[in-house]
Amino acid sequence: MSASSIGATDQLATPPVGPAPIVAEIGRGRWGDLWRAISRNRKALAGALLLLVFVVLAVFPGQIAPDDPAAQIFTPALAPSWHHHLLGTTASGQDILSQVVWGTRLSLVIALAAGALATALAVIVGVSAAYLGGIADGILSVITDVILVIPIFPLVIVIAAYRKNAGLFMLVIVLGALGWSYGARQLRSQTLSLRTRDFLESARVRGERKLYIILFEILPTMTSLIVASFLGAALYAVLTEAGLQFIGLGDPNSQSWGTMLYWAQNNEALFAGMPLWAIAPGVCIALLGAAFALLNYAFDEISSPALRVRKLDRRRVPKRLPAPARPEPMPVPADGPVLKVEGLRVAYATDAGPVIAVDDVDLEVARGEFLAIVGESGCGKSTLLYAIARLLGSPLPGEIIGGRVLFQGKDLVLLEERELRRVRWRDLSVVMQSAMNALNPVLTVADQMRDACRAHSNMSKKEIEERSREVLRLVSIDPVHLHSYPHQLSGGMRQRAMIAMALLFTPDLVIMDEPTSALDVVAQRSLMVQIKELQERLGFAVIFVTHDMSLVSHFSDRLLVMYAGQVAEMSRTRELFDRPRHPYSQGLLEAFPSIRGPKVRLLGIPGSPPDLAHPPAGCRFAPRCGHVQPRCTAAEVPLHSVNGSLVRCVLVENEA
Amino acid sequence: MRFVLRRLGFFLITLWAAVTTNFLIPRLMPGNPALAMMARFHGHINPSALHALEVAFGVKNHQSLVSDYFSYLGNLFRGRLGVSITFFPDPVTHDVFQALPWTLALIGSTTIIAFLLGTLIGLVSAWRRGGWLDGVLPPIFVITSAFPYFWLALLSIWLFAIKLGWLPLSGGYDVTGTNVSWTWAFVGDALKHSVLPALTILVTSIGGWILTMRNNTISVLTEDYVRMARAKGLSPWRIMWTYAGRNAILPNLTGFAMSLGFVVSGAILVEFVFNYPGVGWMFLQSVENQDFPLMQGLFLMIVLAVLTAILAADALTAILDPRTRDVR
Repeated sequence: MSASSIGATDQLATPPVGPAPIVAEIGRGRWGDLWRAISRNRKALAGALLLLVFVVLAVFPGQIAPDDPAAQIFTPALAPSWHHHLLGTTASGQDILSQVVWGTRLSLVIALAAGALATALAVIVGVSAAYLGGIADGILSVITDVILVIPIFPLVIVIAAYRKNAGLFMLVIVLGALGWSYGARQLRSQTLSLRTRDFLESARVRGERKLYIILFEILPTMTSLIVASFLGAALYAVLTEAGLQFIGLGDPNSQSWGTMLYWAQNNEALFAGMPLWAIAPGVCIALLGAAFALLNYAFDEISSPALRVRKLDRRRVPKRLPAPARPEPMPVPADGPVLKVEGLRVAYATDAGPVIAVDDVDLEVARGEFLAIVGESGCGKSTLLYAIARLLGSPLPGEIIGGRVLFQGKDLVLLEERELRRVRWRDLSVVMQSAMNALNPVLTVADQMRDACRAHSNMSKKEIEERSREVLRLVSIDPVHLHSYPHQLSGGMRQRAMIAMALLFTPDLVIMDEPTSALDVVAQRSLMVQIKELQERLGFAVIFVTHDMSLVSHFSDRLLVMYAGQVAEMSRTRELFDRPRHPYSQGLLEAFPSIRGPKVRLLGIPGSPPDLAHPPAGCRFAPRCGHVQPRCTAAEVPLHSVNGSLVRCVLVENEA
Repeated sequence: MRFVLRRLGFFLITLWAAVTTNFLIPRLMPGNPALAMMARFHGHINPSALHALEVAFGVKNHQSLVSDYFSYLGNLFRGRLGVSITFFPDPVTHDVFQALPWTLALIGSTTIIAFLLGTLIGLVSAWRRGGWLDGVLPPIFVITSAFPYFWLALLSIWLFAIKLGWLPLSGGYDVTGTNVSWTWAFVGDALKHSVLPALTILVTSIGGWILTMRNNTISVLTEDYVRMARAKGLSPWRIMWTYAGRNAILPNLTGFAMSLGFVVSGAILVEFVFNYPGVGWMFLQSVENQDFPLMQGLFLMIVLAVLTAILAADALTAILDPRTRDVR
């Protein structure tokens, strides 16, 4: 049993899916990154500025306040300065403005001290609970949750009622000791998610001590979360201190905003025509609170990149290079392509500017054809699929910045969402990578099938049920599972159910994004056979994305090898396996063993794909290529047409 | 089922922790101030009630801490919370139940409205991210959520009751007018008295719900099942409610449970400022009068109310999230 007893937040908080390798991750970073992120965030700046003002007031009250806050002055001073009694006086003739200025110090000190104490406790409890695990984690988590839900303020009042005038030191201790639980919870779950990361594993293998790992490996990565937890605790302390002072349970003789409110209320300032007596300190509490709240809000955005909106700056998108004459696309069977993609470009907005993830891709899919797209992760293959299916754009990252997607005589890129909806699922459906995440966890399979049917047809309830059973049978799932929730099915069944759902209307084209990658080898194989069988029986075309070339070798008609957002090679599948022409295709083929062929050393490809924010000049594969020549890096390499294949390599120039 | 049992277990542990804290606090305080209070009682109440008080506050050390603790638990279990000093000779339970309906009506309904409204605003502003609603409401309510409840209460009294004279200054009903009864006149009067305190609580508490729901929705919107729903060509309305909203509200319910204590703390002060005859006002009255039995009874009541609301949120989670219903 999970030790966290509150709700399901932990398992629900899966990281947002995005183009992970290309979008720079900010917020996990160290102080430098953090500082840059703050200075760019308007809310953070506003909050910091407010806080700075109060810090100045707290440090130099004597220089700023016009009067002695305690002096009772009923007659105007001989030469009153312009801001003398600007806010009026209290019932006993003390200057309100001066009291407010002097009150800053105590209010701020209590907030910061209690915030610091609470944060220290949160870090100690949260991190050690997660890091120690087991029973220690269980006990610490229950204590955290109990303190979290017990209403703290009444408890503080009870304590204060027994210990009247216990002093402000006591107040800080109590506020700190009771305000740490929320931060501890968050730090715990963050630490848990870090625990298995590589850099910690490596520290453990190096034999570092636990304390060292916690202090120097874990804590620095959580800087922004710790800061957020401090801000939350400080905000809480400001409000609680003011509340306690207000009801007279603090120290009425101290000089703070809360005490001012206490005296104002006791003297019925609002009725007695001295509203500023009550309003001014309240405004200060609200402003200081707002400063903490704004900073907290901003840190939320900084520590979870998903919350920030990045706008694609089109002016910074690199221009398409003047393409050399395009080779004629590969001939496709006679009855015309079902899909034709021309010059498709997709960009992601990142903090470092736009990144072109799909660069000028052309392809065609014939009716009933099986086209496989292969490449390493981060080469842009999934992005290409989502661009074709028009699934990019707000709220998801990525934007089509050029090209056409012709499907059924229409350019999908230009269609409005409303018009797109008519094409979706009836004619073009999608099967996603991980069925666990792609099926709505709170609806049954039947509900999700019904949603699709209702959106595109006038089928009756009974017809929908019938059709749903039928498609489940198509993928060999017993229809008794129709009314199950996704989590009640096995991984393989979920994947099949999703394929069944994609076939509800027997579309012309099914786009599949690594539908088998979550399955074991045997299940992969049988699912592939089944997909191929269904395709031949029902006649739909498939675009199938995978990083595993061997998986599709027996099923696909053609293969498209993608590298760094571009087409590297496109060939008939047999042709490509027999004669890979691009050095990258050769490398991919050498990366897995042939079952029947002679024993050869597996070579693989040295290095890793380029950073698409700064793609290498000329051929993008050149830095990893064994056949690199000076002209490779001199200019962009066009696609050459060789024997019905397209190859982006200077080596085939002579064959072309 | 496992989920519900686990939450029920947590409910009991927390309640036990609160009850035990309640028992220990007077004993841990140097120079037990309850002693002075007890002196005033001698000869005024019957011996068994006196004994219950002695057990609760550890006044006479004729018994061990452990046996005191168990007699205290036994008394609690039978609903014996002692006798109030302020409202002598009312038993504390009587006073608590007199104040409770007012608080449930004011704070209970306001909190539910704030939660529903905040969740709705959060959902819509995340769905139309960067739109005018998203640009205006979340930042405004983030700032108002930093306002001290009692200060906003003071301000609204000053503006709407004193300056403009639109609404009554304080109290839960007009004490010089109708009697407490289920008549239109009385209910209308009570509603009129509740407008300002309710608005105060609403404005200060709604920001938290808006922000958490907005952030949850934003992360749910990047989930594959939302992308899939779009690929299926569902209407935006259907995607927003059943795919994004249904999933984003689950962590928000957890957030509800966690922030409830904070809201209740603020609401206590709001009742105090408005002289609203609820649990919070009575609680602070008892503090002022050093009425320790009443104070501790009310503290337990507040904890119990918060925990019950959390349990209700858990039950709702179990209804909305099929994963919590299955044994895992």
